[in-house]
Amino acid sequence: MTETVMTIPGIDKVSSRSGETVLRIRNLSKQYGKRLVVDNLNLEVQRGEIFGFLGPNGAGKTTTIRMMLGLIEPIAGNVEILGKDIAKHRAEILPRVGALVETPALYLYLSGRSNLRVVGSALGGVPKSRIDAVLELVGLQHRQKDLVRTYSLGMKQRLGVAMALLQDPDVLVLDEPANGLDPAGIVEMRDLMHQLAAEGKTVFISSHLLTEVQQICTRVAIIHLGKLITESSIEELTNGRGEFAVTLERPQEALALIQAQEWGRSARLDKDGVLITPAPDSRGRELNLFLVNAGFVPDTISQATQDLEEVFLRLTGNGSGGVQ
Amino acid sequence: MSTVIATPASAEHKQLRKARPSFFGLLRAEFFKVLHQWTTWILLVLLVGVMILPYLIEITVPSIKDQIQQAPLHFFYNEMSIGLSIVRVFTGIFLLIITARMIGLEYQLGTIRVLLSRGVGRLQLLFAKLLTVVIIALVLLAAGLVLNYLLTLILVSSKAGNLTPFNALTSQFWSDTRTYILTILLNMGVTVLLATTAAVVGRSLSFGLSAALVFFPIDNVGTIIMQLAYRLTNNDFWLSLTAYFLGPNLNVMPMPLTSGRAESIGASPLYFVDEAHKAHGVLVDGTHTLVVAAVYAAIFAVTAIWLTWKREVKE
Repeated sequence: MTETVMTIPGIDKVSSRSGETVLRIRNLSKQYGKRLVVDNLNLEVQRGEIFGFLGPNGAGKTTTIRMMLGLIEPIAGNVEILGKDIAKHRAEILPRVGALVETPALYLYLSGRSNLRVVGSALGGVPKSRIDAVLELVGLQHRQKDLVRTYSLGMKQRLGVAMALLQDPDVLVLDEPANGLDPAGIVEMRDLMHQLAAEGKTVFISSHLLTEVQQICTRVAIIHLGKLITESSIEELTNGRGEFAVTLERPQEALALIQAQEWGRSARLDKDGVLITPAPDSRGRELNLFLVNAGFVPDTISQATQDLEEVFLRLTGNGSGGVQ
Repeated sequence: MSTVIATPASAEHKQLRKARPSFFGLLRAEFFKVLHQWTTWILLVLLVGVMILPYLIEITVPSIKDQIQQAPLHFFYNEMSIGLSIVRVFTGIFLLIITARMIGLEYQLGTIRVLLSRGVGRLQLLFAKLLTVVIIALVLLAAGLVLNYLLTLILVSSKAGNLTPFNALTSQFWSDTRTYILTILLNMGVTVLLATTAAVVGRSLSFGLSAALVFFPIDNVGTIIMQLAYRLTNNDFWLSLTAYFLGPNLNVMPMPLTSGRAESIGASPLYFVDEAHKAHGVLVDGTHTLVVAAVYAAIFAVTAIWLTWKREVKE
């Protein structure tokens, strides 16, 4: 099977990054019937990263996460967490991984605190002080004695996160952590992720809130139809493709002139009339010189950036099926 | 949500990092869960009520006094058969519901993925649940026996005015009682395995509970249907088939094992001898009932273990 990773100019390859690799996915594949839902996936996540895992509905994100957590078996490839193969060292490694997969799964007939107590007991015992701490961390200390069936979706989500943090894991795998949270809750969740990463914890997030991912994550991987489309830092991904944004008078005329150049065929105007263009030799200085010599004095020249949503939609072919 | 991160103190941190899923931790968690469900307590109250009911009826029957005084051993065999039959049937129903809930809810709520994704083994979890049910079953049986004994004491002393009728009890009686208790234990074991398999196959409470609860009524009613089939076809096959039904075998088990001294309730495998002294159907003996129960138990156990071990968790 050949690897079909689309590379974007200026993006580092996985192998060239430094730091401790906490999560490594190698040639991971999963098939249901005749459908290959995860196709030869390769990923590496470093310690302390907040890694975004994006893809449209049915891209294979949840299947990948389930394979990472040993809930389902891959047909090929393997997952290493903290340097050990999950298939061989499941009982040793998974307690160091906190996970929230899809909607939070909770014992509805128990209180929030009892949920943590039950899971803590099953996982080898968690002190009361730790339960208090995570309840406070997710803001549920005042509702801890209420039955979970009376909780809102946002509260259940918080309890799910508390459960994931119960054993102070090294790696957190969160599937849609902002689900059901109000705007203030989303901001708090974002802060929490940053602080966990600052502590050296690695956070792996699958989310459909691309603006959130853009603000939270340090790097992202985008998968589509089970295949890795790109893996890059947010900065590199949104920096555009070495293009520049130019504001100037008579942009239509300038565009026509640039498009007539060998290097400028992909130039275009964005919806605000800003000229988005490559530069001769990929250098902004050369572009400035060219425009001035042609009688178009730019008001501003800056590196063109795209938001993550634009990149996502472009890479996944307008994201058919919606973003998951 | 607090934005101040809770970093555990170093000793606590070490303890947390060393913690691994443990069988006894799972056992504690299972007990905690089952004891915090209203269903458990409601069923328990109903169970106690059903056990007391026959004694309440008997205490109002005037002829009981004569039975105690004239044929005390026969009376005690009768009491033992009724009391233990009720324990057998109703603890069975209690265990079916508790087991199906314990396993089915874990799938239905999706909490199984929380536990498995933190390193809990699939079979480790299944066996922890089974051991929890086994302990509950043993406690239930012990409590049921003590309750029956106390109620019999009360009944005898209130009707006969003293406890001297107990002097009529023979070592054979106690031996038969022990055999009957053993059949209850076997009944409980097969019942728990049946409910486990139903919940594991269906991966939901609703399927597990329904399948487990309808199994015994179906195979008990099955004997009537087989009798009808025999009447229509005049073929012994239909009668013989009932000798391999689980429910009727469990129902009849105490009788052959006590050489008919103890009795039981519920449908039994069909068998009769006609006027020409020709036998129809299979006359089951103690060994037969034990083998049938063991085969069903093995099928249930292998199915539940295999599916739990091999099937992917998509909840």
